[in-house]
Amino acid sequence: MLRILGGLFALAISAGFVGALSGLGGGVFIVPGLVILAHVPMQVAVGASLISVVATSAGASVAFVRDGWTNLRVAMILECATVTGAVSGAYMAGLVPARVLELLFALMMLQSAYFSMGRHGDEMLSRSDPLCAWFRLGGEVPGDDGTMTPYGVANLPAGATLMVVAGLMSGLLGIGAGALKVAAMDYLMRLPLKVSSATSNFMIGVTAGAGAMVFLARGDIATSVAAPVALGVTAGALAGSRALPHVNVQALRLLFVAILVLIAIEMGWRAIAGL
Amino acid sequence: MADEEDRILRVWTPVILRTILIAATAALTGGMLAMAAQPSGYYIGRFRAVQAGIAIRQQQDWSSIVSAAVRGDPHSILTIGLTILTLVPLGRVAFTFFLFLKQGDIIFVLATAYVLAGLVAGVMLGRIG
Repeated sequence: MLRILGGLFALAISAGFVGALSGLGGGVFIVPGLVILAHVPMQVAVGASLISVVATSAGASVAFVRDGWTNLRVAMILECATVTGAVSGAYMAGLVPARVLELLFALMMLQSAYFSMGRHGDEMLSRSDPLCAWFRLGGEVPGDDGTMTPYGVANLPAGATLMVVAGLMSGLLGIGAGALKVAAMDYLMRLPLKVSSATSNFMIGVTAGAGAMVFLARGDIATSVAAPVALGVTAGALAGSRALPHVNVQALRLLFVAILVLIAIEMGWRAIAGL
Repeated sequence: MADEEDRILRVWTPVILRTILIAATAALTGGMLAMAAQPSGYYIGRFRAVQAGIAIRQQQDWSSIVSAAVRGDPHSILTIGLTILTLVPLGRVAFTFFLFLKQGDIIFVLATAYVLAGLVAGVMLGRIG
């Protein structure tokens, strides 16, 4: 028992730690870790991962909300799209063959790796487009000298469309889909990067929570796997967020991208070989 | 968002998040300890069944989960801990709903209500299977 539990804790702590350092969350590391190393079925890994994404998002959100970086209005409007996608995705996860899920997961990891390379949107907008102005989605961020600088938001329909996809992937694959959410807000909607990250973090918890509720209500959460993973990933994410100011994240980013690509190849190969 | 609502949000969201997280962690730790107190082979048997894809779907009603948890059943205690954890997003959205309601921002009251309805729909869809 101790050997299995120790292995699950070690996997979850590592995933939470790396997920916090990379900004990708633990889900992209937990699902392949459970499938490849712990040999549990894909659906069990997805359920356990959704629960752990909720836990890590809640821990990280405390500081973001307290410091005022989260744009709650943008989060709530976009959550209408992600929750719709997440509930549909989690419902379908019980019906879609595991090999198809593994293939989709591999593709999502490649997408995360691509967006982790660090290209970001242009200068922030000084005013919102008419639709976003009507919803009053703009906000303020503190500048270098401490004065508050207003920012605008644009392209709500395109951002919301991508959020449905992010929600669908979250519910299907047990990940936060944070890279896709940040990409939608940063590139398409032109939010400042830190606001995008903080708002994405807030949204990840709600999206994953919607998926987790489907799994829990269906009785598809294996408590013997999900409980140690949730505890371990929370501890790992806490340690990762404390270590963040002391490490050179840019230098680590390339390593994370390499890890993501390797896992994507492994998952993709498993899926193709099993189809 | 008005300054007063913004202040309430910044002060109370961390309090709500921490409280739910601590409650969930306590229940999960309790469940793991109850698991460790079971006869030798209990956990390994469950884990192997999960690996084999046998013991995954275990839909139960809440009254039986709570009564089993009171009797010290590890699976039921862990289920309660995991459920508390999934209440974190529900609590956050519900809190935001009341803030928008207090502010009288009807568009965002409706948007937040839709998100809440989506979370509840998730539970109902799960129960249907």
